[in-house]
Amino acid sequence: MKTLYACIQCGTCSGSCPAGRYTNLRTRLIVRNIQLGLRENVLGSDDLWACTTCYTCQERCPRNIMITDIVRVARNIAFEEGHAKKPHLYVAHMFINTGHSIKFADEHRKLRESVNVSSVPPTVLSYPEAMEEISKLTELSGFKKKVLEREG
Amino acid sequence: MRIGVYVCHCGGNISEVVDIKEVVSFAGKLPDVVVARDNEHMCSEIGQQMVINNISEHKLDGVVIAACSPQFHEETFRQVVSKAGLNPYMFEMANIREHCSWVHASEPKIATEKAKELVAMAVAKLKLNEPLVKKSISLGNRVLIIGGGIAGIQAALDLADSGFHVYLVEKEPSIGGHMAQLSRTFPTEDCSACILAPKMADVAAHPNITLYAYSEVKNVRGYLGNYEVTIVKKPRYVNMDKCIACGICAEKCPVKVIDVNDFEAGLIPRKAIYIPHEFAVPHKYVIDEKNCLYFTKGVCRVCEKFCPHKAIEFDQKSVEETLKVDTIIVATGYEIFDARKKEMYGYGRFENVLTALQMERIIVNIVKGNPPRDIGKRIAFIQCVGSRDEQIDRLNCSRVCCMYAIKLSQLLKRMNPEREVCVFYIDIRAYGKGFEEYYLRAQETGVRFIRGRVAEIYEKPDKKLVLRVEDTLTGDPYEMEFDTVELSVGMVPGEGTNKVAELLKIPKSPDGFLQEAHPKFRPVDTLTDGIFICGCAQGPKDIPDTVAQASAAAARAIRLMNKKKYEIEPTKAMVIENLCDGCGICVEHCAAGAIEISGGVAKVIEALCRGCGRCVAYCPREAIVVRHYTPSQILAEIEAALSNKQKGESRVLVFADYTCTYRLADSVGTSRMPYTASARIIRVPSGALVTPQLMLKAFELGADAILIGECEQKSSPFLNSVECISDNVERVRKVLKEKGIEPERVKYAEFVTVMLSRFVKEVNSLSELTSRLGEIPAEKRKALSTAKA
Amino acid sequence: MKYSFFLGCIAPLRYPGLEAATRLLFKELGIELLDLKGASCCPAPGVFGSFDLWNWLLVAARNLSIAEEQNVDAMVICNGCYATLQEAYHLLGKPERLEAVNKVLSQIGRNYQRRTGVKHVVEVLMQKEVWDKILSLKKRPLGGLKIAVHYGCHYLKPSKVRGHESPETPYHIDNMVKDLGAEPVEYVDKLMCCGAGGGVRSGNSDEARQFTLTKIENARKAGADLIVHPCAFCHFQLDTGQQELLDQGLLKEPLPVILITQLIGLALGMKPEALGLNLNKIPHNYLSRL
Repeated sequence: MKTLYACIQCGTCSGSCPAGRYTNLRTRLIVRNIQLGLRENVLGSDDLWACTTCYTCQERCPRNIMITDIVRVARNIAFEEGHAKKPHLYVAHMFINTGHSIKFADEHRKLRESVNVSSVPPTVLSYPEAMEEISKLTELSGFKKKVLEREG
Repeated sequence: MRIGVYVCHCGGNISEVVDIKEVVSFAGKLPDVVVARDNEHMCSEIGQQMVINNISEHKLDGVVIAACSPQFHEETFRQVVSKAGLNPYMFEMANIREHCSWVHASEPKIATEKAKELVAMAVAKLKLNEPLVKKSISLGNRVLIIGGGIAGIQAALDLADSGFHVYLVEKEPSIGGHMAQLSRTFPTEDCSACILAPKMADVAAHPNITLYAYSEVKNVRGYLGNYEVTIVKKPRYVNMDKCIACGICAEKCPVKVIDVNDFEAGLIPRKAIYIPHEFAVPHKYVIDEKNCLYFTKGVCRVCEKFCPHKAIEFDQKSVEETLKVDTIIVATGYEIFDARKKEMYGYGRFENVLTALQMERIIVNIVKGNPPRDIGKRIAFIQCVGSRDEQIDRLNCSRVCCMYAIKLSQLLKRMNPEREVCVFYIDIRAYGKGFEEYYLRAQETGVRFIRGRVAEIYEKPDKKLVLRVEDTLTGDPYEMEFDTVELSVGMVPGEGTNKVAELLKIPKSPDGFLQEAHPKFRPVDTLTDGIFICGCAQGPKDIPDTVAQASAAAARAIRLMNKKKYEIEPTKAMVIENLCDGCGICVEHCAAGAIEISGGVAKVIEALCRGCGRCVAYCPREAIVVRHYTPSQILAEIEAALSNKQKGESRVLVFADYTCTYRLADSVGTSRMPYTASARIIRVPSGALVTPQLMLKAFELGADAILIGECEQKSSPFLNSVECISDNVERVRKVLKEKGIEPERVKYAEFVTVMLSRFVKEVNSLSELTSRLGEIPAEKRKALSTAKA
Repeated sequence: MKYSFFLGCIAPLRYPGLEAATRLLFKELGIELLDLKGASCCPAPGVFGSFDLWNWLLVAARNLSIAEEQNVDAMVICNGCYATLQEAYHLLGKPERLEAVNKVLSQIGRNYQRRTGVKHVVEVLMQKEVWDKILSLKKRPLGGLKIAVHYGCHYLKPSKVRGHESPETPYHIDNMVKDLGAEPVEYVDKLMCCGAGGGVRSGNSDEARQFTLTKIENARKAGADLIVHPCAFCHFQLDTGQQELLDQGLLKEPLPVILITQLIGLALGMKPEALGLNLNKIPHNYLSRL
């Protein structure tokens, strides 16, 4: 990964950023704040979560800085430090409990039946032993603990 | 052999530390030494005279001076021994000042022992020296200049005016290059064509210039003073003697051609038979066979029918011509960056996105009253297109784009103050004479400068262009609409430059441009004597810098040729023909292209050989050596450095290249920076000469560690020597490992002459390593005698 | 030719039409689709990648290991799933990393050796013999249909890892549309994100809908009758998102959206209901013209 200290603050990233058109996200400033060691400006800001990870900035950065990937890493730290949003924790929970990131209910079963596919998909939903694997894996990775801590 | 040894006191510099008497008496007992003396100042007239007298009195055939660094007095004493009738190479210096008394001042006993050993090393090498004679090449006054842009033109005129004969080769139908296309020059706003045209005419008229326009260099053989150059003259299909450029042919030609590589940058069509522009030199028409109906479809020939002078010759073929020249100047210039590669700017897809060169032509033609298109009222300039951009592998700044954008933008604004002209930039680099003032003038003219690199452009259905950009100074992203967008494209090395680099074996710097011999002191030389570079082939630059370099290249060529002859150092590679089987491995590894196989054996072209020794390291049959630094000579020094090693002592052999490391070690001495007395510094042209076999032998004979110091590659006179050294070291490490000896006992380092403390650190750390690891057991050393790397 | 069909979450649980259409199409083409049994969420690159990259990589490696057991590449119909599985495959090219991952996987009885990886459905369909077969099976002319192609982000980017085609001027799906007899239309911000990625749909749905609104309006302006795309997650945002925009009164004229396999299914004469087009919130009103 090219170090973000190579950034020349040219603005290609924030000029390219579609999220920046609708929000206050300025990828250039995320990089700048990290360069200056101003953690809270990055980690504590909602702007960090406005990025859709579309990678346009990273594709165009003239210094080849992996900006989108840096945003993801910054979010990992923010998540760890308790800056996760409620809806995101909900998604995390859903995954830990079901192996999918969204709910599967009766109405969805009916939708499936209407197009002639198995009423329950052949995913983790059909295989309890697979669910056990996922459960164990999120435990081994430390993710489960992280999420449950946040919830508590 | 009869050798004389002379030990210098250096007015106390040496004698206050080293016991001179002891050294003299030691030297006197060395085999073959018939006289050993000392003097307060060996370099003084008295000292010199003593040597001269002794040579005849004692019939000496070799001399060793133990004194300061050869850097200071090797040349002096070579002349001294020559005066007495000895060959200057039958002489060696032992550096007992910089490498001994000055760095071991606190340990006089050890210093004295070391001084003795240094003398013994010099004597041992001298015994194997052979008289060497400098060969000389006679030089004429013929110069080949490749490239007829402003760089080639300037160099050609300087040389021709100085009485040299120039062959100027240009691949396009006219000379003039990119400068001919520009509107005005920054920051003075001279009309570019107006100042260039007279120079072009001078080239055409000069009796000392032979112009080969529409020609290319196909092959170059030989060396300084003996280049044989093959030139291909492409067929113009127009008889140069008959054509008077009346233009009737083009008037009648039915084919319209639009080509962005044309003089008008694709904005104004030309015909298939054409003259590049109104001040073209030579002022003759040419048929573009890619578009001519006769060549593409076998029909038409209208030009031939109407030419009043019968100048059209469809049956012309390309003609090869061979020239003999003494020196070569490469002035192949640049190409503009292909803006299509920055897809987000839509060049080639959006019709109102133009390159800077197109904007130059638009301005010229507006001034002429003949605007090729309507550029509208709102014009944007986007900087750094193809420069400072690692996405396309062009990290370098192109150095001219800021200034030409400042020029073009204010010309447009001044022509029509109602225009809205914006320049989008990352940094404005206005570093030259009058540049910042010119930038200010643009600001005052009303050009808007916005700091932000444009992210993307989209085209609206009405062909207007919307730019997306963040003004990084306010932090706001904008969408701004323009009628025309100019892309300030950077300079890239052209295909011609790449081809010539390959032909002439000129290395390239990481930016792809040609590499000069030294970035500070030899900016227009290459590592091959007799070949020079100038202008944008060496790197992006503006017109004044190009002209300065071109004149410099001419002067450097004149400096060589004015002497009429060129002396070749005799310390070059030499093939031992009865050992050579003509396998060609040396040819493959020679970065200078100085070896060829002929008659089943390798032959060295001494004028091209740089004496680095890569060939020596790679030759599987030990059939090639570098004179004066043969493996046996180096081995003799190694043996002498180790023969007197006492129990408990260690020896760190430091092989120092003479361009950097040896001088660096001298500077360490001059600065009186102490380091381990176990170090023995052996001077070599390049560390590449220290073959794996020599290193293994050194370990066998008692060396405890080896450091190979080589000039940092970018200031080295040798191409890729570091690569070879690293190879050699790896080969040795492998063997050491196999034999149970710690491989870290051998290492190499790249130095420049100012890394004083680094040198001390490297040497000391090896010495510490040897005491930590302890003595290499005798049986392991012995096992090396049969080892092969 | 055989692939293990990685379903992800959106297709099987919200838009089963996407799954059904893909299954029908592959059956018609004679390409076997195995079930990637016991697969979980990929997990989503922008969401789970943002929470905990280590956990994200482990789960992705588990999914990949299932296809590897079957000795085939996984095939996805979602750019998000593609991003995760392709990137994980790429990252696991580093032996130390692969070893570390396998150390954990071994504790759930799994192992991944990178013998097989992942293919995007577009990659599969683009193969010459497959595409030729599709063209030979064309039954329903799509003439007169103007289609805006939405590539989505992660099929193309980061291009240094994906390595398909230019992320600024991609053309492969446009060419498919053309080959199927419809007319691809150029529109502003064609390459803009649907708005949903990176946890934005769950975390800030208003922001996500602004993306969607811009996209739809631009495609409309260019005269498109519908939007075709290669991604279940984009499908979710572009279809459901439009319904939300309609409900909010922010959008007047919506555009139907369709997954590339559904569009091909149509061209091959399959019934719209069989392809699950009726499960979309925005009705496919152009169908009457075919």
